Amino acid sequence: MNTPGCLTDLDLIAWWLRESDASATSAAEEHLFACAHCTARLQRLAQFGAGIRLAAQSGAVHAVLSESFLAKLRDDGVRVREYRVQPGMSVACTITAGDDLVVSRLQAELRGAQRIDVVVEEPASGGSQRLHDIAFDAGSGEVVLAANSRQVRQMGVTTLHMRVLALQDGAERELGVYTFNHSPS
Amino acid sequence: MNLLSCRPVRPYAPGVHRSISMLEEIELAQRIVAAGAHRDAEAEAELCRRFAPRIRLYGLRHLRSEAAAADLVQDVLMMTLEKLRAGAVRELDKLASFILGTSRQTVVDARRGGQRRERILETFAPTLPQFDEDSAVPLDSARLEHCLERLPERERSVLVMTFYDDRPADEVGAALGLKAGNVRVIRHRGIERLRLCVEGGES
Repeated sequence: MNTPGCLTDLDLIAWWLRESDASATSAAEEHLFACAHCTARLQRLAQFGAGIRLAAQSGAVHAVLSESFLAKLRDDGVRVREYRVQPGMSVACTITAGDDLVVSRLQAELRGAQRIDVVVEEPASGGSQRLHDIAFDAGSGEVVLAANSRQVRQMGVTTLHMRVLALQDGAERELGVYTFNHSPS
Repeated sequence: MNLLSCRPVRPYAPGVHRSISMLEEIELAQRIVAAGAHRDAEAEAELCRRFAPRIRLYGLRHLRSEAAAADLVQDVLMMTLEKLRAGAVRELDKLASFILGTSRQTVVDARRGGQRRERILETFAPTLPQFDEDSAVPLDSARLEHCLERLPERERSVLVMTFYDDRPADEVGAALGLKAGNVRVIRHRGIERLRLCVEGGES
């Protein structure tokens, strides 16, 4: 919610992320230095940013990411364990004390897909989780999925299936099934 | 743009004694000017407390470093107080603009090599009062992680890739196969949902 006369949330975010042009940047800064209320709102946004950064570095959140983002994490010293898997293939996997993040790189032909879902299934328990409408770069040829490291560390010997599905006009087409045979380190 | 309209109204009547925290910034500046070399420590500390977060956020945005932003806060406040004590700030009602201008110049100098900072520290360092920065309520990081996990996939991807390194929409969009405008929409929606969850306790 915005107070009349104050910067909008969109203005604040654009300024913080350096998206605004020179004129808007200058106006936003003049306002911020004169307005304690907007300063407090910006402090909160900055806190959210710092918290998200920390969560990403420590693997405290699962997320679909990109190869360029993984490269940035590695450059920053985040220890990333990666499993690149072809459709129909399986892999033995784990997480060690030296890993911050575990990433599954599901190879798939994504070109032409309008929407992609990923279904994670655990046959032993019958449990499943569907990741709806993930962001994907059709030209990349893969879905990069970072797991929540804390949850992975708590897993015993487990087999998981991940299915990448392309959805179009109400129909879904399986692009690949990937099997992860997890064992604790 | 009306820069004053969003300031909270001060709940006091004229003539009633007001604590230092109730004074307007111009009143604080007037007290500092009036005290001059004798120094009004209370007014100086209050002015620093209020402006420190603004300068720090400006520094974070322009310098992308906590340490550099902390240096900026110290440098700008030292110079501002020194100018006020010397009566060298001409328009006290434009103190915020003066501090912004000083911040801008200091950032430009920092990018050029920062030699000016050594001169500032040599000249003003002993004169900065002790103060507690006017800080935001601490963020519950466990709550934030809980709320992040509950966002729709796209929103989580966009927020993580945006705020990990404060990247603009076009860069995040290029990495995720999204248009910049679409990233802004997803980002805005995600931040709002995150805020509601973190601050409102919604699961």
